[in-house]
Amino acid sequence: MRIIDKASGPFSRIGERGYFAADIVRALPEWRTYGGETIRQMRNIGVDSIPLTIIVAAFIGAVTAFQTRYQLFGGVQLSVVGLISRQSIILELGPLLTALVLTGRVGARITAELGTMRVTEQIDALETLAYDPIAYLVVPRIIAAILMLPILTVFADSVGVGTAFLTSILATDILPSDFMAGLQLAFAPFQIVYSLIKGTVFGAAIAFFCSYEGYNADAGAEGVGRSTATAVVITSVAILILDALTAALLAPYLQG
Amino acid sequence: MKKTRDDILVGLVIVTGLVLAVVGSLWLARGGLSKGYPLYARFAWGAGLKTGAPVWVSGATVGYVSDVNFEPDGTLLTELRITGSQPIPKQSPATVVPNGIFGDVAVNFTPLRAGAKYVTGDTVVSGAPTAGIAQLTAKADSITTSVTALTSAMNKELIANGGLADLRSSLAGTNKLIAQLSAIAATQSTQLSATMASLRRATSAVDSAKIDSTLSNLRAASGNMTSLTRSLDSTGHALNQIVAKVDSGNGSAAKLVNDPALYNDVHALLGRMDSLVADIKKNPKRYINVKVF
Repeated sequence: MRIIDKASGPFSRIGERGYFAADIVRALPEWRTYGGETIRQMRNIGVDSIPLTIIVAAFIGAVTAFQTRYQLFGGVQLSVVGLISRQSIILELGPLLTALVLTGRVGARITAELGTMRVTEQIDALETLAYDPIAYLVVPRIIAAILMLPILTVFADSVGVGTAFLTSILATDILPSDFMAGLQLAFAPFQIVYSLIKGTVFGAAIAFFCSYEGYNADAGAEGVGRSTATAVVITSVAILILDALTAALLAPYLQG
Repeated sequence: MKKTRDDILVGLVIVTGLVLAVVGSLWLARGGLSKGYPLYARFAWGAGLKTGAPVWVSGATVGYVSDVNFEPDGTLLTELRITGSQPIPKQSPATVVPNGIFGDVAVNFTPLRAGAKYVTGDTVVSGAPTAGIAQLTAKADSITTSVTALTSAMNKELIANGGLADLRSSLAGTNKLIAQLSAIAATQSTQLSATMASLRRATSAVDSAKIDSTLSNLRAASGNMTSLTRSLDSTGHALNQIVAKVDSGNGSAAKLVNDPALYNDVHALLGRMDSLVADIKKNPKRYINVKVF
């Protein structure tokens, strides 16, 4: 019996998250419940994360430019640095690292908030007051993350490419014209869309997994802490898996 | 009030993000915000052109390829976006040239000294394509194919057919021959050394005093020979005089030689003496009568 329980454990957990997703979809029509809260969450998740996003993106851009420049062997055009910096930052590093960093900042916060509300029975109180706790607590966070992660990704891409440019022309032997030539080479607008799609998917993943873990936190402070740690780990792994999936699905459309 | 501030902040961030995305895309795709002007060119399929490829005038970037369309007649209808107000002389041919070693290409105008300039919407003159990375790669491929065939043939000859073993065997035989020659040379060298040593010993064994005395004896013998020759010469001269005298018929000997009567007399005398001797032998008692008492 225990073996059956253990074997069915992963499926059970997936099923529970499926029910949770269904509850979220069911709560979407109640926009009056979550409308105002959504703006507040957009502020918390998006606006307040801009400094961290910019710092991370700035260093990503600088390191990418440095690494690319000093990996080039003789005879390769220096404009390649602009091309590789743009492709690396916009297609991969910008959305991915922004999501991973925000998993720690935003995701942990969501789990801790909802977990605390669960263990202090605030969620039960909402239900008692005939509020749908999913609509009031989870849906705004998910909508806010879905809307703000792409915006943060745009900031990250812009800052990353900008610092790559500055690093290249100030700290290496690359001329601005070389970098700009590579930056504009074989660009397709879908590359920006691809980056935004990744940001959206990652934002949904952060909000969904972290909300689930917080919403179902065990009793006590330890339970909240455990849920927070679990949420960060699961979300990070999920982001990496989703990154691979989006690349596999969308990369063929990236050719400029 | 707090809520209003949140609304403004969130709205501001979203608008900023969207503007950044749109303007960034346009900037990256169009090479900046300046619109420039379009020119059109036709190149053959397979030219390797991509959107965003640079457009040069004698190597200086003046724009980018903004659109590439396949045409059914085997050409690529290419839109070249010339940024800024960079003028390009009319009739300047546009050529697809390699850009770097990774197969990227650019469109390069070779400017001509002409008064007129290309204007918006002109179709430019297409120049002959230059050998690009693709051609070089194809050439490298053919070289690689040849090298592969050569390697295969060498492999077949040297390994499959035992050529390498034969070569090794030949080398071993050559080594053996060289060793034998070296041994012979060493032996010859030893013998030569011994011969030289013997010669040196023989040379050192010769007594120079004996050689000097021999030489002085030879010198004396030579002097004696000279005086002998001189004596013979005078003797010959004397003989010549005698023979001349005999030939002239003067003197007893000459008369004896030259006078036939004397010869006849002598001959008759000898005849009689011969008869006398014969008679003495026949009758000794007639001439010899020995009485003791």
